[in-house]
Amino acid sequence: MTDTTLTLRAPPAPRRRRPGFVAMLYLYASLFIVAAIVLVPLLTTAVGGFKTLGDLRVNPFGLPETWQWSNYWDILSGARYWQMLGNSLLIASMTVVLTVAVAAMAAFALAHVRFFGSAFLMNYFLVGLMFPIATAILPLFIRIRDLGLLDTYLGVVLPQVAFGLGMAILLFRNFFRNVPKELFEAALVDGGGYIRFFWFVTLPLSRPILATVAIVAFVNSWNNYIMPLIMLNSQDKYPWPLGIMIYQGEFSTDWQLVLAFITLTILPTVIVFFAAQKHIVAGLTAGAVKG
Amino acid sequence: MASIALNDVRKFFGHHPVLHGISLEIRDGEFVILVGPSGCGKSTLLRMLAGLEDVSEGEISIGGRVVNDMAPKERDIAMVFQNYALYPHMTVADNMAFSLRLAGAPKAQKQAAVARAAEILDLSHLLDRFPRELSGGQRQRVAMGRAIVRDPAVFLFDEPLSNLDAKLRVAMRTEIKALHQRLKTTMVYVTHDQIEAMTMADRIVVMNGGRVEQVGRPLDLYDKPANLFVAAFIGSPAMNLLHGEAVAAPGGTAFRAKGGGLLPLPADRGVQPGTPLVYGVRPEHIELAASAACDTEAQIAVVEPTGSETQVFMTLGSDSLVGVFRERVADEPGSTLRLRIDPARVHLFEPSTGARIDAAAASTSPIREAVLA
Repeated sequence: MTDTTLTLRAPPAPRRRRPGFVAMLYLYASLFIVAAIVLVPLLTTAVGGFKTLGDLRVNPFGLPETWQWSNYWDILSGARYWQMLGNSLLIASMTVVLTVAVAAMAAFALAHVRFFGSAFLMNYFLVGLMFPIATAILPLFIRIRDLGLLDTYLGVVLPQVAFGLGMAILLFRNFFRNVPKELFEAALVDGGGYIRFFWFVTLPLSRPILATVAIVAFVNSWNNYIMPLIMLNSQDKYPWPLGIMIYQGEFSTDWQLVLAFITLTILPTVIVFFAAQKHIVAGLTAGAVKG
Repeated sequence: MASIALNDVRKFFGHHPVLHGISLEIRDGEFVILVGPSGCGKSTLLRMLAGLEDVSEGEISIGGRVVNDMAPKERDIAMVFQNYALYPHMTVADNMAFSLRLAGAPKAQKQAAVARAAEILDLSHLLDRFPRELSGGQRQRVAMGRAIVRDPAVFLFDEPLSNLDAKLRVAMRTEIKALHQRLKTTMVYVTHDQIEAMTMADRIVVMNGGRVEQVGRPLDLYDKPANLFVAAFIGSPAMNLLHGEAVAAPGGTAFRAKGGGLLPLPADRGVQPGTPLVYGVRPEHIELAASAACDTEAQIAVVEPTGSETQVFMTLGSDSLVGVFRERVADEPGSTLRLRIDPARVHLFEPSTGARIDAAAASTSPIREAVLA
């Protein structure tokens, strides 16, 4: 009897092999190196912001001789920092809304509607992915000038949206194509058309990819330096990345203030990334909608 | 409530024809099942009825209106899809009310319609759940509920049971049939499962290769298949079909199979000796004979008892033959079974065209004794 039960028992699950000591060492060493590449500049910047200019010159990587809290406090208590934060938020929000709206609709058409030239159009958008902003900056400037949008928020937002569309459409289209075709047919029978299907079914199902595209667009806009630099003239419209220019004098630069300012501007992005990490990874690796 | 008329409907995918001129009348309130093997065009035909595929040629009318160029929502139809196609982000109630929501119906009307459909399908306790929280059978019922809420003139079902397990399929079969008896709405149902077709339909349309092979009531198809395809398709296990020819036998004609077996022929078909034939007899119409009065003898190959009946695979000469007997067969493989075949239940077909050879006007008595000699 005992024998029978023994033979009936399922074979033991294969034990996951623990990596050996050398493998672990290698694993940890490489992880430490990668972490260091990311963390050292971040920490140097953050700590550098607490130093005096002299201290920074002599001792760029160590801890400050005396912690100069005033560097951060002066920036935080000044109106300019907050105004630039507002500008950055406004520009980024407009970029996100426009990118998501335009890209989602374009991707929906490219994913669901068969029309002449759709493949060509898709490839045309994809070619845009390979086009760096800096190379186009001169013609872009002329065009924005001709449109009368120089020194306006839109003058920054529109080119940012245009450059973000390629990636956004690619992500959206791949996601939309995985929405089962029967859902569209069911919506057709239920009395909807393309637009209602897009609004009532596709968009609610696409939350992960909406979040991904929105975050990518937001971060790109947040970090964009060259576009506002070229398009904006008045300081009261400057976003954060241009803030450091204020501390770059003609003959000397207050590096400790630049570092403090950079730290304060990076902080929100880092926080947002950690908060939305799950969505970003899910969106980038998403394959299918489960029906 | 509506009747449906198809008039020489054709469909091409590119230059490739998929439907070769289908003409069909479906009466108001009728439950019609389109059945056939994969790729026979039955789903395409249903999708054309729904408006999800264009009509290449011909005319479809629902309730007297030609609907060729109408959008699905204007056709007053509802469709149940094979994989249910429930909206994953909506609750059961929202799924069912979606068509009314799109139509801009007032809230009270939506609630009333959903409550009525939920009660019919016993879904009232599931209204707040999401599709992912339901079992396959429940999802299927929600999909039907979504159709009922629309109160359409015609229900269309596209293989709705093929994703369910065998037991649930039988239960849902009964439910759909009961639903039809309750709603009395015209229903068109597509399946590849002939058992589903036989058990549920008022009329069955057997399709093959984009053509209608036969239309008729389930038992008519079973009793009088119009051709070889229908004969082989309807019935489980499938009809035995033996190739051979009529031969002269004492007292009339008999059938000599290519494999060597000699079988009784119905005398009323007017078949002359020498005529090539396909001889069809259903497994359940072969009987075990008492020793004195047997028509033929066959060797047992495999015996499969199912309890209520016994399925026996036999060899007759070099042909194989399947029989289903109510009696229990205790004989070993290799031993000989004596069989009786009622000639009145034998089907004959032309080998070249596959068409059924029906009874000639005259009829005479069976010739069983003669064949045995």
